[in-house]
Amino acid sequence: MSAAVDPVTLTVIENALTSTCRDMGVTMMKTSYSPIFNESLDFSCVIFDPEGQMLAQAEFCPSQIGTIKFTVTWTLDELGLDAFEPGDVLLHNDPYRGSGHVPEHMMLKGVFWEGKLFCFVANVAHMSEPGAKTPGGLSGDATEVFQEGLLLPPVKIKRRGEDVDDIWKIILANHRTPKVTYGDFRAMMASLDLAEERMHELLATYGEETVRSACRELLEVAERRMRAEIRSIPRGVYHFEDVIEDDGITDRAYPMKLTLTVADDEVIADFTGSAPQAVGPVNAIYAVTASAVYNAVLHLTDPTIPRNEGCYRPITIIAPPGTIVNCAFPAPVAGGNTETSPRITDMVFGALQHAIPERIVAACGGTSSPFLFGGADPETGDLYAHFHFEGVGWGGRRGLDGNDMVVTINGNCRNTPVEVFETRYPSFRIDRYRLLADSGGPGQWRGGLGGERILTVTAPVTVSALLNRMKTDPWGVLTGGSGARGGIWIERAGSEGWRTFVEEFGTLSPSKFSGIRLEPGDRVRIVMPGGGGYGDPHDRDPEMVTQDVENGFVTIERAVADYGYPGEPR
Amino acid sequence: MNDSLAAGVQVGIDTGGTFTDLAAFDPVTGRIVTVKTPSMPSEPGSALVNALAAANLDPASVEGLIHGTTVATNALIERTGARVTLLISAGHEDVPYIQRINRQTLYNLRWQKPRPLLRSRRDSIGVEERLDSHGRVVVPLDRAALEQTCRALAVSEPEAVAICFLFSYVNPEHELEAKAIVERVLPGVPVSVSHEVAPIWREYERTSTVVADAYLKPLMGRYVGSLTRSLGEEGLRAPWTIMKSNGGVMRAEAAAANPIQTAQSGPAGGMLAAATFGVQAGLPDLLTLDMGGTSADVGIILGGEQRHTTEYEIEWGVPAAIPLIDIKSIGAGGGSIAWQDAGGLLRVGPESARATPGPACYGLGGVRPTVTDANLMLGRIDPGYFLGGRMRLDRGLAEAALAPLAADAGMDIVELASSIVEIANENMASAIKMVSLERGYDPRRFALFAFGGAGPLHAASVARAMRIPKVLVPLYPGNASAMGMLLADLRVDKVWTQAFRSTEVDAALVDRQFTRIRDAAIADLRAEGFAGQPSIAYAISMRYLGQNYEFDAPIPAGTVTPETLQQAFDAFGDIHAERYGYRIDNEVIELVSFRVTAAGARVKPRLEATPDAQESAARPSRMVHFRGAGFLESAVYRRYAMPSGSRLSGPCVIEEAGSTTLVEPGTTAIVLPDGQIVIETNAAGGMKR
Repeated sequence: MSAAVDPVTLTVIENALTSTCRDMGVTMMKTSYSPIFNESLDFSCVIFDPEGQMLAQAEFCPSQIGTIKFTVTWTLDELGLDAFEPGDVLLHNDPYRGSGHVPEHMMLKGVFWEGKLFCFVANVAHMSEPGAKTPGGLSGDATEVFQEGLLLPPVKIKRRGEDVDDIWKIILANHRTPKVTYGDFRAMMASLDLAEERMHELLATYGEETVRSACRELLEVAERRMRAEIRSIPRGVYHFEDVIEDDGITDRAYPMKLTLTVADDEVIADFTGSAPQAVGPVNAIYAVTASAVYNAVLHLTDPTIPRNEGCYRPITIIAPPGTIVNCAFPAPVAGGNTETSPRITDMVFGALQHAIPERIVAACGGTSSPFLFGGADPETGDLYAHFHFEGVGWGGRRGLDGNDMVVTINGNCRNTPVEVFETRYPSFRIDRYRLLADSGGPGQWRGGLGGERILTVTAPVTVSALLNRMKTDPWGVLTGGSGARGGIWIERAGSEGWRTFVEEFGTLSPSKFSGIRLEPGDRVRIVMPGGGGYGDPHDRDPEMVTQDVENGFVTIERAVADYGYPGEPR
Repeated sequence: MNDSLAAGVQVGIDTGGTFTDLAAFDPVTGRIVTVKTPSMPSEPGSALVNALAAANLDPASVEGLIHGTTVATNALIERTGARVTLLISAGHEDVPYIQRINRQTLYNLRWQKPRPLLRSRRDSIGVEERLDSHGRVVVPLDRAALEQTCRALAVSEPEAVAICFLFSYVNPEHELEAKAIVERVLPGVPVSVSHEVAPIWREYERTSTVVADAYLKPLMGRYVGSLTRSLGEEGLRAPWTIMKSNGGVMRAEAAAANPIQTAQSGPAGGMLAAATFGVQAGLPDLLTLDMGGTSADVGIILGGEQRHTTEYEIEWGVPAAIPLIDIKSIGAGGGSIAWQDAGGLLRVGPESARATPGPACYGLGGVRPTVTDANLMLGRIDPGYFLGGRMRLDRGLAEAALAPLAADAGMDIVELASSIVEIANENMASAIKMVSLERGYDPRRFALFAFGGAGPLHAASVARAMRIPKVLVPLYPGNASAMGMLLADLRVDKVWTQAFRSTEVDAALVDRQFTRIRDAAIADLRAEGFAGQPSIAYAISMRYLGQNYEFDAPIPAGTVTPETLQQAFDAFGDIHAERYGYRIDNEVIELVSFRVTAAGARVKPRLEATPDAQESAARPSRMVHFRGAGFLESAVYRRYAMPSGSRLSGPCVIEEAGSTTLVEPGTTAIVLPDGQIVIETNAAGGMKR
């Protein structure tokens, strides 16, 4: 159709697209209001072509990068390309129209060149306050998506460059922290404006036809390279099962079943046989399940392949409707994106442990440990809300121990520093934030350590949680042991000893609940699970065990029991 | 060129891994003198004294000495700093290990979280104390327990102590008390305190920075101490200064007390030189390539300005929050060693022969083949004119060093030498891509600024491979970093940190504080020997209330009033709108800190060559090897004998004492009026416009 683009220009354009996405992120970080944006970077920035194919992304949240493909495609299907005019900005967060979950808001803007739509720039970000039944959303005992926040189908929040005031008014009236929402939305818009400007510069420099050809070629390069990578995995049909321990409403466990077929240059992930959808908010919509599988395959293949739609073409996902991996309206979905997603990704690694033992990892802690809270600032009276999450231990891998305390594989967010946390939120003081010895699963290559955080309540606050791995273990592989479980506990002011929220407040689940009011002096303890071990712990280099003991990563008692360590030198 | 200079001379000395470069400027005559001498890694200070002697400079006549050093850089890269004990708020001992919980790249299961500079997790010790976010005491500092801890530490003879307490940037009292206790119980042990090193919020970034500072302190203290002694013995009376990573200078004692500020000391001078030379040549947009003996540093100059950042990382995820000029370093220099990897592939660097033993051809005992040995075999450098003839290179030794590798690789020696040069060029091209392409800058729109002893030898090939249309070779390229140091102004920054909202800021209080830190800044300038009229700038770091990242907006220097504050708020809105495309009128602005910058301008050298009419430009031609063309007879010229306006077609060689410029076939070199050389590479094909 068009002449091939010379290799230098192709590289320049690829890097210009990626660095545009990266700079969109920097703008959001520098100008936004909520720590979940500006400290945690819980957002992603992407460029699409008019067919809804992802052209480029910068490295933010893998789960968002996978789901936004569906958010955008379904939006374009629903509205049609004619709905877009220069200067329009679309806002959207409805999971049953392709959003990952309700807190995740996407903004989409068409980039026009010489009067015609050339591409879309988009970002998706986790809003700290979506107007759910409890502050911060992710209510652990929601039973319908309506309880998870204000649902926005794709609507124009800007039309031809002008704010649509009615839409703003509806949103700001429904969020507990309208000022923060306003600041974060403005940051998202600024990032889209920057991307539009960068695309215009690129088009002016290289010409529309060259940029278009380059984009097409980059998609093909990615697909070709991805297929070659998949061919390096032994063909076969592989199985793995895991379970979501409960759903906040029932005490039932929800098994997930994966049949993974590697056929020449294609991968088919079939979840047939997985449990019916949950009553509570641990369901994944189809886009989330697909995104989790993409995430696994991208982690197993050459990281230098351009990260665009071409990577996804050789991957097929089968997820029967009405199950926990493809739930039906109006089931609640908040935890599907934070909790079920990393577990699905880990299942792909588990399935392939014998096929490509040199490439996979044991299970990570597998939970984002969502802890939500909100209240009124005692000094100013302003309402605040926050989505707090934690890292986990990662699984051991051949030749390397798992990393300690890193966010689960579906995200790549940063923690909120204690100093930022306490400055922004008057409700807690953080007394302890540390690694926990012995939390890494024993193995020739040890699982990474989880940790604990202890918070003292300093002003009345309403809390919710949506954690996992309080009842099940992060599994090891190839005879490696499990990592330690996590969880959440409470110690009321004036009493002593940690109790579960079931024991103290009669919640249905110890790890998934919402709207609990705490008073000054109460203490909350969050424990983050460790990663699974890889290989037989008795094969571990004794020198590494000694190092672990000396650094306090493993106690002497566990070193003796798990690794056959000779004990305290005398 | 070695006749001695009059009093009042300014000297810049840049010590690299292989060579120590000197540039001296006599403000009376406007003359520049340059000298290159070998570095002495075992006694880095001696190299400075030698350089002064080689330049025939009487230290007593020196009015200012600015030194760029790689002592800190190397200790951080090679992890050879001190064993640091970290004293940190109890309950938060694992801050250096937990870090920010994100990953360097997505989709890489082999990634390993970086290790902190601490030697053991047990070296991070909790101290009972706690402030809240307003700086109010929640838990008083347990002095007795801290004393106990210090006494226990004394037994193990700690090398350095770092202190970081939560919210110390709001209220430094606990840190100051702890510092006093440590100094009393552990006399002589260097202590770094977080609110002094980096008064920023975010405990991980501040902890990492203060640990790095303590990590460098014993080393930098010894270095500055011994150098001060040797320079004093030589008769230096002027205070001497060290180049900071941000392109300013600080007194040597101050550098010993704040060593982390020198993490990028060496390369900063080169970037100052690049900006000035580029503007002078009408080429304000530059990619810079500083290739010395040990490493190559690449950077970018946009519109005549360096890119500044505060995001220095010792490695990914281990930050040191210091202001610096953005530079990327790789292990590719003349001394980089060529070797074969396990898979049989030919590799060059990052290991370097450094100053000792140096490349084989130096005849100092080196036996492993280096890039310089390869260049010599290819006729690209003249064995009789290295360092202007002050060092003879031995072709036989180079050949002997290359021979075993040639046999292993199944190549003849010339083919091997040519491949080594090619691989070194590719490594540098990759680094240049990182600062240009990866940030969305098209290298074809830039000129390549080539300096360092080896830069002009390799630049034309690198430029052609990347289709960079022009190469700019400054005057005295082998000493450009040292010359850049002569361009640095004295600069003192003072900060007062106190949060206000724009609705309730006290103009009178701000005025008093600005006056206080301005006077302190001027006093520091005077202490550095500056007698002139300082230029003073005030700025306030601000953000919209709720944002987490602030930036500086200017406020008129002088009496602060509600009106001038309003001007600053307006300026903030303007900058915000320019950077991010919007402003929020009537939004409350949060004032975070107040900064005074006092600059003492120094007499700058005129960057012009003084052509030597005595010497004839043309030298006997020689055979030089070019990849793809083989050996070609190439004209040889002495650089400073060529009149401006000269046009030379490649292949040819332009020689000077500190460097050699190679003009490849098909390219043209032009001598500019100021004596700089531009090489037209004719390589910018494929551009639309």
